[in-house]
Amino acid sequence: MVNGLAASRFNPRHWARQVLLLATLALSGCATHYVDSNTKEVPVADYKKPVNAKPVQLLFEFQTRGAINTRATDFLKAQVSDQVKTSGLFSAVDDKPVAGGALLSVTLNNVPLTDDLFTKGFVTGLTFGLAGSTVSDGYVCTVKYVDAGHADPIVKMARHAIHTTMGASGAPPNAIKADSVTAAINVMTRQIVSQVLNDLAQDPAFP
Amino acid sequence: MNITMNKILRRAFSAFSLVGLAVLTGCAAVPLGTPIASMENIQSAKSAGLGPTAVGEFKLATGKDARIDKEVGIRGSTVVSPYGQSLAAYLGETLKTELAAAGLLDAASTTVIKGFLTESTLDAGIGEGKGSLAARFVVVRGSDTRYDKELRVNAVWESSFVGAVAIPTARNEYTLLYRKLVGMLLADPEFRKAVAR
Repeated sequence: MVNGLAASRFNPRHWARQVLLLATLALSGCATHYVDSNTKEVPVADYKKPVNAKPVQLLFEFQTRGAINTRATDFLKAQVSDQVKTSGLFSAVDDKPVAGGALLSVTLNNVPLTDDLFTKGFVTGLTFGLAGSTVSDGYVCTVKYVDAGHADPIVKMARHAIHTTMGASGAPPNAIKADSVTAAINVMTRQIVSQVLNDLAQDPAFP
Repeated sequence: MNITMNKILRRAFSAFSLVGLAVLTGCAAVPLGTPIASMENIQSAKSAGLGPTAVGEFKLATGKDARIDKEVGIRGSTVVSPYGQSLAAYLGETLKTELAAAGLLDAASTTVIKGFLTESTLDAGIGEGKGSLAARFVVVRGSDTRYDKELRVNAVWESSFVGAVAIPTARNEYTLLYRKLVGMLLADPEFRKAVAR
């Protein structure tokens, strides 16, 4: 009787199944990522090229709600640097000071667009995906350019978004599905940086 | 026999749950990222009339608890410095990064900036997070002490009750304090007067 009661209180198979289910949900990342289609990539060929391109010192920084995110910065730094180098807007791009003292700062700030992200994900998790949800991450890219001839920086900004669906949720409108979260971030970054570089090139004060 | 077996299994599952929680909440020593130069501090350094400058020793201020220099805690995790396990050294590296990016770092210069960490706090509480950083900066030129002043910065931010959100947010906000403190130094009129060529 005692043995039977103890066994009914604790069923290892039942617990193992529950732990496995929770672990699968927690670790499988059952989410689909979409890149917002309202911000498109501006081809390099469309940039207004400067007559006398100058060298520039590039500073890149990824922020989360305005605070430095060094890991994300490390992840995207090479991509952004390559994009600026191949833009044709500068004669050389370096992370060290350059002749003429020109500076280009590119900041990509991740800001939440959807309130209470955790609750949405939690509900989806509790219902094993039956109650789907969509959350959106906003990105604000700010480029600042200064050189010896201009005391005040030229400032340009652009906005973008990545939408993530969890569970049984349909694709968001005006968005293109990405293969992975990494692919979504790479595409979003390329598109938003192309927008601010194009805007910078159009500015009459830009060399 | 069954009772004993159940006890063993319960303990095994308890241990498994604890390990699982530790993995998912990230109970670890997380190093700060490599300092990144900012346009604001580069321009501030350039406009300070600063000549080539060396960055000297950065260490814990005398009489302070050694733990201040070693780490700060975030809900069971800790943030540590990638430079000799010293947060004072991280402050020195942040200053070096800004000066190097401004083209003003010269290890052979007779103008030397030294730093002594006096305060480093981080609290990723539920609802509100807060952190602070303070150091005494000393500028010497040859045998002449031209500047000796303690500066302090702090920050307050919204802190989630979810550790997976709160921990990286606190780490990012704490990292930003180093840039802010260096920015405060570079903008200080007394410092600018002390380092003027």
